[in-house]
Amino acid sequence: MPETKTLGSLSRRGFLKGTAAAAAGLAVSGLALPQAVQAATGQELCTLLDLSRCIGCEACVDGCRDAWQATVPDPVANIPQPFPERVPIEDWSRRKDVQDRLTPYNFLYVEHLEVPHKGQEQELHIPRRCMHCVNAPCTNLCPFGACQTESNGVTHIDQDVCLGGAKCKTVCPWHIPQRQSGVGIYLNLMPQMAGNGVMFKCHRCLPLLEKGQQPRCIEVCPQKVQSIGPRDGQLKKAEALARQMAVKDGAPEDKWGDYVYGLKENGGTGTIYVAPMPFSEINAAIMKDHQEKAKEERAAAAQAGLKPEQAGLLGNLGRPPMGRVANSMENAEKLTLALMIAPVAGLAAGLGKFLAKVGKLTQKPVAPASKQEGGRS
Amino acid sequence: MSLHDYSPGGRALRWLYGVATGLAVFTGMAQLPIMKRFYLADLPGLAFSADFYVTGDLHYLAAAALLLLLAWRLGLKARGGSFWYSWGPRSAWGWALLGVLIATGAVKAARNAGVYLPPALLLTADFTHLGAAMAFMFTGLGSLIKGRKAPAGEGA
Repeated sequence: MPETKTLGSLSRRGFLKGTAAAAAGLAVSGLALPQAVQAATGQELCTLLDLSRCIGCEACVDGCRDAWQATVPDPVANIPQPFPERVPIEDWSRRKDVQDRLTPYNFLYVEHLEVPHKGQEQELHIPRRCMHCVNAPCTNLCPFGACQTESNGVTHIDQDVCLGGAKCKTVCPWHIPQRQSGVGIYLNLMPQMAGNGVMFKCHRCLPLLEKGQQPRCIEVCPQKVQSIGPRDGQLKKAEALARQMAVKDGAPEDKWGDYVYGLKENGGTGTIYVAPMPFSEINAAIMKDHQEKAKEERAAAAQAGLKPEQAGLLGNLGRPPMGRVANSMENAEKLTLALMIAPVAGLAAGLGKFLAKVGKLTQKPVAPASKQEGGRS
Repeated sequence: MSLHDYSPGGRALRWLYGVATGLAVFTGMAQLPIMKRFYLADLPGLAFSADFYVTGDLHYLAAAALLLLLAWRLGLKARGGSFWYSWGPRSAWGWALLGVLIATGAVKAARNAGVYLPPALLLTADFTHLGAAMAFMFTGLGSLIKGRKAPAGEGA
């Protein structure tokens, strides 16, 4: 066989040279490929963020914006006013420079916090974007299948299908997706009556992952805050790191769950944060910071004569909190059992004696079946 | 003339079917982001219709009731009886629509329960479920208007 000949003709020296070259090639490519290759093979991926490493340089934000901002289209000149008028036009196209919150043109931002901890203000920086939930409500509940989850765990929104109804944002515990009005397929349908643009959010650089490359935010980070890899391995790393953080912070090791976020939130996510202090304290600082920012932004909007919705000041203002989040799909998961039991119970009742007797209670002599059931649709 | 069951289960099951169908249609429509937008959720007692999780749970319960009833009918049919029903589908078209709704609904329920399904399948299931639901709604409406009469010689 030709393959055997080729292998057979390979000298020992040639084999060693080839092996060395392959090893060098892998080293040059940053040994990052194994994780990305997992993406190409469809294995569920998870990112782990060690917040003790983040210096808040926002290289990840810049990297993300450089790669993807241009993929978000500009709206039509005259964005149709949806009916009824209380439905807001959300136009971020003239504020593409905003990068301290999530917008349709900004999929990632960094929270810069002073967290009161053990009597001191401790600086903490947190990159925020879509959590890529394991059982993502945005994907499950989108009525048009526009929000999608790939086998590698990436949740993304198909621009060509999304009508911008923002249901994904409503059902997302963190209200991550952001709407740009005046773009998308709804313009070709009934733009006043249905839809209102397209929702945008982090897609974890899906096109790059599919080529076997790393997401941009990971690739450009000088501090190696994030890593990406198969979920099981990442969860183990997260637990080990959280245990270290807990002990270092003077807490019992079994309290490591307080130092990790995203592991159990919303039933489990594809984004795990580990911090050097408990997340209850971090979230308290976030909430305080967000309240102040919201107050300032609403005041600025009022001064400019804009309603909050005109200034994009809706919901959590594109800044998700970090409180503990219960599994939003829990009821659906439980009710699936009811859906499975119901037809079996019905069939058994019909075949069995119990409800057949119910039928006999109303038994009457009628014409033959052929005459009864024909002709109606 | 032979002995047959007339509307097995009687009025109670007819009501159960009607309520379950109405609830399934209403909560199904509420899965579209229209209830809040078009003020329906502002009507007294309908605030829940803007909560996608609540309406989703109710949709499941309605679907479970319908599955129970339809499976019961199939069970009775399998016993060899011949029946006239005052509720439920009467034609192959009606059964086909329900079959499509059940199949696509099962796909969506599996996804909601955490089973991984390819996006293309989910997208197809979403649009097919929506289309079949619309067809079922209009067919049902037509059927309601047209009315349903018991076979000749019998009371309704």
